[in-house]
Amino acid sequence: MSTILSVEDMHVYYGAIHAVKGVSFDVGEGEIVALIGANGAGKSTILKTVSGLLHPRSGNVIFDGKNISHTDAHKLVRHGLAHVPEGRRIFLQMTVQDNLEMGAFTQKDVSKEDLERMFTLFPRLKERRKQIAGTLSGGEQQMLAMSRALMSHPKLLMLDEPSMGLAPILVDQIFDIIQELHDAGTTILLVEQNASKALQIADRAYVLETGSITLSGTGAELAVSDEVRKAYLGG
Amino acid sequence: MSFLQYLINGISIGAVYAIIALGYTMVYGIAKMLNFAHGDVIMVGAYISFSATNYLGVPAVLSIFIAMAVCTILGIIIEGLAYKPLRGTSSLAVLITAIGVSYFLQNAAQLIWGATPKNFTSIVTSAPISLFGGQLTITGEVIITIVASAVIMLALHFFTTKTKIGKAMRAVSEDRDAAQLMGINVNRTISTTFAIGSALAAIAGVLLCSTVPTLQPTTGSMPGIRAFTAAVFGGIGSIPGAMLGGILLGVIETFSKAYLSSQFSDAIVFLVLIIVLLVKPAGLLGKQVQEKV
Repeated sequence: MSTILSVEDMHVYYGAIHAVKGVSFDVGEGEIVALIGANGAGKSTILKTVSGLLHPRSGNVIFDGKNISHTDAHKLVRHGLAHVPEGRRIFLQMTVQDNLEMGAFTQKDVSKEDLERMFTLFPRLKERRKQIAGTLSGGEQQMLAMSRALMSHPKLLMLDEPSMGLAPILVDQIFDIIQELHDAGTTILLVEQNASKALQIADRAYVLETGSITLSGTGAELAVSDEVRKAYLGG
Repeated sequence: MSFLQYLINGISIGAVYAIIALGYTMVYGIAKMLNFAHGDVIMVGAYISFSATNYLGVPAVLSIFIAMAVCTILGIIIEGLAYKPLRGTSSLAVLITAIGVSYFLQNAAQLIWGATPKNFTSIVTSAPISLFGGQLTITGEVIITIVASAVIMLALHFFTTKTKIGKAMRAVSEDRDAAQLMGINVNRTISTTFAIGSALAAIAGVLLCSTVPTLQPTTGSMPGIRAFTAAVFGGIGSIPGAMLGGILLGVIETFSKAYLSSQFSDAIVFLVLIIVLLVKPAGLLGKQVQEKV
């Protein structure tokens, strides 16, 4: 298994605030890797730095053999990096179809097969393709955000809190889809506050506390670890 | 019959404001800044057209395209040199810079073309149309202005809803970070927006000076401010809003001059703006921005 992403001793600052303090981790091709931790631990900051919206003050981000620490976000999409940001951030005033087309911005044209693939994965979106995205429910918006990211044929799909704000039944549905994508060979880096759900599907996971990684292991190992159970799984 | 005459003239001057307002509103929507130098780009466009026809003997129609090309490049240079380095800094810094650029353009024009007003020759040569036994006169300028603004409006609508770059512009205007995550180059999109806005400003400059033929370095400032008002009136960031705001502003201005007072017409226009903003803070067609939690 070859490594697709490796983060080496990464430090990120917001002005004077030291948000990520020397984090190192890697993601192998075909894996689901989860970053879990409390609110404010630095999980989203890590994803934003990998995708190029932020840049590290020191340390390296190596993606697919290239050092991308200081490459801007819009260039990385072409290299095969897709990031579904926290809060979905779909284009609320555009139609579902236009959102998907924006997802394929780096492709030569919007291929029919890609659209069909998304509509098979998320049948709800097909019914609503002409609808303005702002009128979708939270779950549908999450599905749109994920399919929009998949339109760029990513080598690595990064998901930031895909279950946030969703009803339990929808959370299950979203995690089923993540599992399905994984089974189809997609490499996924998952950030979640819902630790128990994340650990169930993750091959490996890292626990983040105030900007540093405190624990790592396979999903199954961490799910039974005392520290994780106490802090994140409610005893 | 004079009512109809005022209405048509008002729509015509309003159509010029609308074309200028489109530049303000597109730049605001995408770069989230008020480009107060936009009015002065109009003036530059008019001077270029004037110079091309008077000094180089270029046909009037061709001079418009030269003015558009020059203003497009000027817009890209202004954005790249003055505004791009300030991306991410306080909006106040950008605003002050824009006012600086405005004064720079006015003074540069004065240096090149002098302070004495030039007499702009209208690009329209057709004779006015006389209707109802001479009671209603529609000049060629009025027709060309209204037609031009309608064509621009339709073209922009098509561009922003059907083309990939146009959709990318809307995406940047809605969520800059998310647009970057789609692979959209935000800097290039902003630059394209300035290019389009400035080309439209050149057209507006030629149309404006064809109706009001006095051309001087400050020619763009008052129409610029009125067009900015029109953009706010219609809902800043909204393309149909800019069009509606511009035309309403032109009509209100013309009616105020005709029926109330020509000295106070600007005061009346701004009074209407204040009332509209009190009732509808986002402007006529503006979207109320909802804070997300």
